[in-house]
Amino acid sequence: MKNLAFLINQFLKRNAKYRVIATCLVLSACGDSSQELSAQALSNLNKSYPSQSGGTLLDATIGEPSGLIYMVAGESAAGAISSNIFNKLLKYDKNLDLEGELVEGWQVSSDQKTITFKLKPNLKWSDGKPLTSADVLWTWQAVTDEKTRSPYASDFQLVKKAETPDALTFSVTYDQAYAPALDSWAGLQILPKHLLQGQDLHTTAFARKPVGSNYYKLDSWANGENIKLSRNPSSVLGQAKIDNLVTRIIPDSSAQFLELMADNIDSMGLDPIKYVRIIPARPELKQKLALYKELGNSYTYMGFNLKRKPYDDVRVRKAINYAIDKQEIIDGVYLGLGIDIASPYKPGTRWSNPDLKPYPYDPKKAKVLLKEAGFTDIDGDGVLERDGKPFSFEILTNQNKEREKSAVLIQRRLKNVGIQANVRAIEWASFISRFIKTGDFDVVILGWGLGLDPDQFNIWHSSQQAPGQFNFIGYNNPSIDKLLEQGRTELNPDKRQKIYHEFARVLLEDSPIVYLSAGYGLSAIHKRVKGIENPAPPAGVGWNTYDWYIPEPLRRPVSGRTEISAN
Amino acid sequence: MNKSLLQRALQNPLSKAGFVIIVLVFLLAMLAPVIAPYDPNDINVKAILLSPSWQHWMGTDGLGRDVLSRMLYGGRISLLVGLVAVGISTAIGILLGAIAGYYRGWVDTLIMRLVDVMLSIPSFFLILAVIAFLTPSIINVMIVIGLTSWMGVTRLVRAEFLSLSGREFVLASRTLGAKDARLIFTHLLPNSLTPIIVSSVLGVAGAVLMESGLSFLGLGVQAPQASWGNILTDGKDYIQFAWWLSLFPGLAILITVLGYNLLGEGLRDALDPRSENNR
Repeated sequence: MKNLAFLINQFLKRNAKYRVIATCLVLSACGDSSQELSAQALSNLNKSYPSQSGGTLLDATIGEPSGLIYMVAGESAAGAISSNIFNKLLKYDKNLDLEGELVEGWQVSSDQKTITFKLKPNLKWSDGKPLTSADVLWTWQAVTDEKTRSPYASDFQLVKKAETPDALTFSVTYDQAYAPALDSWAGLQILPKHLLQGQDLHTTAFARKPVGSNYYKLDSWANGENIKLSRNPSSVLGQAKIDNLVTRIIPDSSAQFLELMADNIDSMGLDPIKYVRIIPARPELKQKLALYKELGNSYTYMGFNLKRKPYDDVRVRKAINYAIDKQEIIDGVYLGLGIDIASPYKPGTRWSNPDLKPYPYDPKKAKVLLKEAGFTDIDGDGVLERDGKPFSFEILTNQNKEREKSAVLIQRRLKNVGIQANVRAIEWASFISRFIKTGDFDVVILGWGLGLDPDQFNIWHSSQQAPGQFNFIGYNNPSIDKLLEQGRTELNPDKRQKIYHEFARVLLEDSPIVYLSAGYGLSAIHKRVKGIENPAPPAGVGWNTYDWYIPEPLRRPVSGRTEISAN
Repeated sequence: MNKSLLQRALQNPLSKAGFVIIVLVFLLAMLAPVIAPYDPNDINVKAILLSPSWQHWMGTDGLGRDVLSRMLYGGRISLLVGLVAVGISTAIGILLGAIAGYYRGWVDTLIMRLVDVMLSIPSFFLILAVIAFLTPSIINVMIVIGLTSWMGVTRLVRAEFLSLSGREFVLASRTLGAKDARLIFTHLLPNSLTPIIVSSVLGVAGAVLMESGLSFLGLGVQAPQASWGNILTDGKDYIQFAWWLSLFPGLAILITVLGYNLLGEGLRDALDPRSENNR
């Protein structure tokens, strides 16, 4: 007991951020007078204001980015910040149509193999140096360089030749027509050659003091506390409205929520219980927070290790699929904020095959299939056996409340058909390095976040099974391989759609994973932030953050709680 | 002798309270299958996060399971882990302490330095590090806690042995030709038993807390099995709204640990010849 108290004490002493939280708790606890004061402010929140610039937006992140060079960091925490600092050649507009970001326009050659990008004139890095096609070429060389070990390298390796005829022109030639090409250029953040040439991207100091070209530039980065961005006066896309973006590092979602309630951050992602139950039930939160929901381009699934028995048997996989009640998970865990799916695509998009239906909940069918596969309950203990071994496995997942709860619901359903499942939730980093990269698992519950292009070569193609690659379940199906290869080189959207509908059909029939649901991205943003589109357009709530603004009367006082809490 | 020790300890109202608490907690945990109103793993997705009511005295959790029933079953885990872990650590402690205290010399030096090394590592970190390499399960938790908390008992037993082995009754027995084993098991050990009991009682409190801590971090008892620690984790995210998920397991841990500590302190006072009660 003494040890534990000592431990907590040491922890508090070392980690200043927890002291910060403690301070804020105290402040919000004695904040009765400020509550009264804010009655006026609360009614102001719902007024409309003309767009104006200035102010600070406070955000929070659970994980601290390892660096801000996205092509090597490859994590969402890094992407959320680096996308404010760096530009890409192309971007998606609010309706998910491609438009130029750094380029004025682009041309695709008649044989579909060459794309020529024309950069906008007078582009500048925030240190004043010109941004030219040489930077783009250098970035492409960096991402495909083996030493970079970028997880996005495969998107660009099919480029046979890249050239810069002049400072404003960049052209790439592919071996053969490559359908996801434009999408890949809308994902690559362009880095400054003059600051990075000859450096190791994994160790360079640039990752912590980046120089970009986008709306914001890095002001300061306090380890474990916050990352401050301020407006980049030489931004190539014009000026953003909000002066400063501060991302506070708060590694615990409950602490983040306390900070949101205490008005010390302006926005955070929510889980379904906070979104559906907690915030609507608390008038003081409902008054100051606006809730947003958007169907994400992602889904949650239960995957089998197909290299192990008995998961190599399609009857067993189908039986488990029939035995799981997906609607129960959507209702009970996601509180209805999910959609059951039968294609690995966002429901309602052209790539999702509308003719496919998810496996219904049918425990009887599951039992029949298991019996066909040779599983019977010989010793009468309620657990099926084959070759004298009981059918039992461990469901691994990361420490994500929704996934853990889904696992417990699945565990109960599997027990009903005679399968003994144990649930184990593991911290993210060790989950990936210890189990996923080594392939040491039976069954996992995980999610895929997807790009806009339907190409899922790196997830399903049999060539993508090396440690660290995405086909870690070991899926190997020649007809799927063929469809994926066709889909990459087919440029006619209608033919492509047919290919991916067929791909989804074969995949569903083969059941290498059990689709659990496609979930909504849920978030709360303080009502002082204006200019947000609600309902969210197809590109999502955050597509136009540069246009968000905080009217002056609604800003936080310059010296006040925020200042105290930020130190 | 033990009985009179307990009686003496119970003269102190605080340690009496501790004793009553422990007996009560044990009774509730033992009777869990009889008195629990629901199956602790009975999921009801239509009744999630209900506040305490007549149907659910302690409310329901994020999967609609009855918190009271989970608390009762979780109590069994906490008490079981506490007892088994302390059993293991006491057995190791007695063995090593007896060897060190009886044979002295280089064996003593070796064992005592080992104790120093083990004590120099903060025990929670040590346990955390060991558990991280194993599959988390209740059995592993018990074993690991037991294997990492025997140092106190070792020191205690060694000290007792050192002071006892010079006493006349031991010398007499030795001159009469008693072998090592006889000396250790019939003379030295029985006479050092009382301080061992006291330290074990206090040790259970530490083990209960440790198990809750590990389960809270997701390294102890695994879902769907309930433990006070993992009920507490479930409640962490909703502490302001679903207070019952944090309050009840928190109180249960507090009261149980307090009970063991009160009883342990009472026993220690009763043993202390300088204490007021014993004159």
